[in-house]
Amino acid sequence: MCLVGPNGAGKTTLLKLVATLLHPSSGDAYVMGHSLKREPDEIRKLTGLLTARGFLYDDLSAAENLHFTMRMAGLRPRNVEIARVLERIGLAEVADNRMRTFSTGMRKRLALGQLLVRSIQVALLDEPYAGLDSQGMRLVDEIVREFKAAGTTVLLASHQDGAAVREAEQTGVLRKGHLEILPKSESLSRHLSLGGPAGVPEVE
Amino acid sequence: MGPKSTVEKVLGAVALLAMLAGSIVGLFVVGADAAQGNVQRLMYVHVPAAWLAFLSFFIVFVMSVLYLIQRDVRWDRVAVSSAEIGVVFTSITLLLGMMWGKPTWGVYWTWDPRLTTTAILLAIYVGYLALRSFADDEDKRARWAAIVGIIGFANVPLVYMSVTWWRTLHQPPSSPRSVSPDILWTLMLNLAAFTLVYAYLMVRRIRLARLEGELEKRMAYNA
Amino acid sequence: MALLRRAWAIVWKDLLIEARSKQAFNAMVFFAALVLFIFSFALGPDTELLREVFGGLLWVGIAFTGILSLSRTYQNEETSGGLEGLRAYPGDPRAIYLGKLLGNIVLLLLVEAVLIPAAGILFQTDLWPHAGGLAAVALLGTIGFSIVGTFYAALTVNLRAREVMLPLLLFPALVPVLLGAVNATTLVLEGDLMGEVGVWLRVLAAFDIIFFVVCIWIFPIALEE
Repeated sequence: MCLVGPNGAGKTTLLKLVATLLHPSSGDAYVMGHSLKREPDEIRKLTGLLTARGFLYDDLSAAENLHFTMRMAGLRPRNVEIARVLERIGLAEVADNRMRTFSTGMRKRLALGQLLVRSIQVALLDEPYAGLDSQGMRLVDEIVREFKAAGTTVLLASHQDGAAVREAEQTGVLRKGHLEILPKSESLSRHLSLGGPAGVPEVE
Repeated sequence: MGPKSTVEKVLGAVALLAMLAGSIVGLFVVGADAAQGNVQRLMYVHVPAAWLAFLSFFIVFVMSVLYLIQRDVRWDRVAVSSAEIGVVFTSITLLLGMMWGKPTWGVYWTWDPRLTTTAILLAIYVGYLALRSFADDEDKRARWAAIVGIIGFANVPLVYMSVTWWRTLHQPPSSPRSVSPDILWTLMLNLAAFTLVYAYLMVRRIRLARLEGELEKRMAYNA
Repeated sequence: MALLRRAWAIVWKDLLIEARSKQAFNAMVFFAALVLFIFSFALGPDTELLREVFGGLLWVGIAFTGILSLSRTYQNEETSGGLEGLRAYPGDPRAIYLGKLLGNIVLLLLVEAVLIPAAGILFQTDLWPHAGGLAAVALLGTIGFSIVGTFYAALTVNLRAREVMLPLLLFPALVPVLLGAVNATTLVLEGDLMGEVGVWLRVLAAFDIIFFVVCIWIFPIALEE
């Protein structure tokens, strides 16, 4: 599902809410059948968030960052796995360089890599195209397609147009905290439903 | 805030009467202490103030725990009321302690465990209230306050113990002098009076907190 | 346990970053040296006096240096998206506290390894015969300091007035630990004629345990957004 809307509409807030980083001030939501309020940890196991800056450490290398991600996600990091992901996102040659030397585009790719090393079922992508060149944007589109093929739900918020945006099975427009789903097929609504007295969790 | 409720009026009147009674007895009726003279009369304010300083924080602690268990912001309102009133009583305790100390022992400050602990208590209160001012959201504020309230309270006995042990290293502890029954009764009277004042102030402050809370909510909706 | 593994991942990450950037360690050592020098100037060359107040001076140095490193504990995370990044991972958030705590303890102990001998030299106090006792006090005191400090650092991390609030909140909570550490240090250096050091060490350990239990238990609430 793709979320579009002007700046400040609340797209990032919504993604963070689903990622359980923000607390709903009223109402509840269900992700893969788990309640945001009562089972946030279950949701964290299933979701991966891609943010504008990414959760990356400048003084670690690309490989070490992924290593850390895997350990924090409770996985046993294997170099083979990490190498494979680095290859996929096109950072294999700079695997051991410190993140400090990376460009914005490279950081974005590594942040994507963080999602790939885990086994998530819901991918939350906040402005995935930002900072990427056309090659990078194509990478994002490919990865989104791979996610969809594997059955992973993708919730994507974007200003910019791109293949992934156009290929979205459902599009929602978010304006000042109110979400309006444009009529399309219903396939993704099985995985993500919003409910509660406010209708939509309040924007902070 | 509007007119006072019946409870507030009655409580206020009783508290005022009690304070008058306590002050008159303490200042004029009961005899002065043989050793220390009239300065000793400060004790009738200093000791009750100290008692309330610590009682107030105990209440803050209880409310903090209740808030964390039930997440009902009403407990937090009681907590902040008690904290604000507690700061006042703590300051009074310290000031009077200093006023008592100068004529009696020649110094404004002694590292007596009780006085030191009271000073630290003031620091804890100030930290508690300062932290609250940084949260705009009612729930976040209550949460942070509850955390500081609980840790702060757990800290107080530890501070007292460590200061006591520290003092015994450098000085044997002062033996408590026996107190005449007159002085004891006057003390009890003033203690009761102060507690009534505390109760009165609490009732008023809690009502104010409730109104503030409602105002905040309305402003949030309109924003 | 998964909790320990994740905590260890954080410790490893923080120490690795520190080893590479050396930001915090250098700043702390320089700051500590400055504190020591100023004390020397203030107290003059009277070695008897210096030896008497050694315990207090040392722990002032450690405390100020420690506070410096505490505000940086989570600063590290700031450039990488803030604590949010760590909170987004599944698992008990207490792993974050534990990881940060261990990292702080190790860093502070490393600085003390330089600071304590330097203090001994500057204040003309022979520390070597008391090395064992000093090490024990330093360890327990540092642990106590870090337990409370790491917790309050997390609580104040997002505040605008963090630099003011952290010391303000920390000061009352540190009184028991600092009193214990200063006294124990002084006793150790005096030769401990009455065998009291053991008592103080046990007191310090008790404080450490009490604060640890309270802080780690309450930590997830401090992290809630």
